Amino acid sequence: MRSFSYKVIIQLIVINILIFNIYCTKEIHLNYQVNAANIYETKAQKFKAKNEAEYISILYTNLYQKAIDPMVLFQAQSVLYSIGDQNVAKEMLLSGYFNNPNILIPSNAEMRKDIPNFITETYKRFYLRYPSEAEKVYFTNYIKNKPEVTVEMIYTAFSTSDEYSFY
Amino acid sequence: MKRKEFIKKSTLTIGAGIVAPYILPSGRLFARTGTEKAEHVVMVMFAGGVRQQESILGRYLEDSQGVNGAAGNIMPNLFNGNAPTKKVVYGLDIAGQTKGSDPIPRLLSDSLANKGMVFNEVRAQSAGHYVGLNTLLTGSLGTAQGLKTRPVSPTIFEYLRKHRGFKATDCWFIGNGIGNSTPLLNSSNHANYGLDYGANMFIPPITFGSYGRNILSNSKAYSNNELMPMYEMKNFLNNSFALEDSRQTTIKNTDDERTHIKEFMRGIYTKQSLGQIAMPPAASSGDAFNVAYAAEILKEFKPKMLAVNISEVDGCHSNFTGYLRSLHRADHITAWLYDYIQTNIPEMKDNTVFIVTPECGRNLNPNPILDENDWVAFDHSDANALRVWSLMVGKNVPKMSVGSEGNPIGRLTDLVPTIADIFGVYDDVMNAGYIDPSAMSQFMRV
Repeated sequence: MRSFSYKVIIQLIVINILIFNIYCTKEIHLNYQVNAANIYETKAQKFKAKNEAEYISILYTNLYQKAIDPMVLFQAQSVLYSIGDQNVAKEMLLSGYFNNPNILIPSNAEMRKDIPNFITETYKRFYLRYPSEAEKVYFTNYIKNKPEVTVEMIYTAFSTSDEYSFY
Repeated sequence: MKRKEFIKKSTLTIGAGIVAPYILPSGRLFARTGTEKAEHVVMVMFAGGVRQQESILGRYLEDSQGVNGAAGNIMPNLFNGNAPTKKVVYGLDIAGQTKGSDPIPRLLSDSLANKGMVFNEVRAQSAGHYVGLNTLLTGSLGTAQGLKTRPVSPTIFEYLRKHRGFKATDCWFIGNGIGNSTPLLNSSNHANYGLDYGANMFIPPITFGSYGRNILSNSKAYSNNELMPMYEMKNFLNNSFALEDSRQTTIKNTDDERTHIKEFMRGIYTKQSLGQIAMPPAASSGDAFNVAYAAEILKEFKPKMLAVNISEVDGCHSNFTGYLRSLHRADHITAWLYDYIQTNIPEMKDNTVFIVTPECGRNLNPNPILDENDWVAFDHSDANALRVWSLMVGKNVPKMSVGSEGNPIGRLTDLVPTIADIFGVYDDVMNAGYIDPSAMSQFMRV
C-alpha cells in the first residue's frame, strides 16, 4: 500500500486553497437605484405596418385570449389580401368575431362603472400606450353623452383604426 | 371692420363655401364632360396569353399542330368564321363521345366583332403576364416594373378618380387570384396618384370562395345607428394618428361606401346559400366564377370603370388541349358578361363601352411538352407573343375592322388613352407624362 508523506498532503491543501481563491469569488449585488417602470409605446414610434398575418393573429389573441388556429389564420389572411379596401375587410372580419359568443370583452355595465379606467385599459389593450389627456376627454364625453355606445363599438373603432395597423 | 369690407369678405366666404365642395381632386372646378363618349367602361383582360393563330386568325390545329384541314374559329361570340370540323376537342363532354366534341352553342346572335371595332393585329409591349396586365391598366411600357410590387405608373383607375372625379366605388378591379402580383393591380404607389385614387378590388375565388365564406359570412349586419358611433370614434382615432399619405397601405372608401360594400358582401353570401348567383350557362371554371361576380358588382354598383382579369388559357404552357377548351370557354363567359349587361343592367345597357383584349400573346414555336392528344404546348417569350388583338363595342364605337397580320396597327398601351378618351379626360391623362409616348386613343388611330 502506497503512503503519502505529510509534505505531499500539505502541497495538495495549498493548491486547493489557491484554486478556490482564484476561481471562486463572492457574488456582488449592485443596486443602481433605478426606479421600476412599465414601458409603453408612443404613437410616434409606430412606423411599421402590420402584415395581414400579424394583424389577424394579434387581434384574435386580443379578443379571444388564445392563439388562432393556423388554418383559420391562413384563410383569414388570404381573404384580407383579396379585398381592395382593408378597412372593409377588417370591419367585416371583426364583426364576425363579435358574433362569436367565446369573445372575451368587458360588459357595457363594467365600462360605464368606471369610464376613465376603461379608456386607459382600452388604449393599453389595443395601442400599448396610455391615452393623452385630449383622448381621455374625448372618449369620456363621448361615452357619457351617448348611452347607446357599447364596448363592441369602441373595440371596433380601435381595432380597425390606422394606429392599430402599425407597430 | 367697415361695413363695405365686411360685405366684401362675407360674400367671398359664402362663395368659397358654395364652390369648394365641387372642386375635383385634380384642382379643377368642373369635370370635363364635353367629349364623353360613354358613361361606363368594362374591360375584360383576356385570358392569360392568347396566340393570334388559335384566336382571331381561326387556325385551330393547322398552325400549331400541323393538322391539315383543321382550321376554324373556336371563339364564335367574339369573332367571325366557321367552327372547325376536324378533331373537335374544345367543346363540352358528351357521354359516349370523344371528350370535348360538342362545342358550346353561340350565346350572342351576332359576333362582337360585327358589332364594334376590331384591331386585328396589335403590338403588345411585353410577353409576360404581369407587365402585360400593367400595360393594360397603366398605359406605360412597364420596363421598370418589378414583380410583387404595385404598378410603378398610375393606373387608369387613379387617372379617372383624380381627373374625372369618380368615387372609389365607381372603379373596380376584379382579379382572378391572390398569387403573384395580381392583388396589387388596383392602384399604383405613385406619389402624385396612388392609393388615395385607387380602385376597389375583389378576388372572387378567395373573397367569395370557401375561404371568404368561412371567415366573413358570419359578419354582423349593423344598423346605421350602430355604425355611426363606430365610424365617428374611428375617424377621431385616425385623425389623432394622422397617417401620412406615403404610409397608406390601402385604398379608402367613404363611410357610406364602406357600408354599401359590406352590405353587398353579406348579400352575396346569402345569395350563394340560396343558389342565386347568375353564372355563365356552359362553364363552371375559375374564370367563369370570376366573371359571374364581376356581373354582380356591375349590377350593384354600376361602376364607371371595371376591369376583370381571366387567365385559364395560360394552361397552354403544358396542355394544348386544355388551352383550346379554356379559349372556347373564355369566349363564352366574355359574351355572357356582355349579354348580362345588355339584359340585366338597364342603366348600363346603352351607355357602356365593352373592351376585350389579351395582355400578351404566345410563342410561334412549341415547347416539347405533349398533352393527352400528343399535341405540343406553347410558352410566351418570343416575337409571336407580342402579337395580340383588341376588340371594342358599345356606345359611340364605330363598326370597323382595323389592321391585319401584315399591317399591325396600335399598341396595348393604347387602351388607357382610349378609356381616358371615352371619359373625356384624354389630355389630362396624356399630359400627366406617364403614358407610353407612342400610345394614343384607338379612336384616333382610325
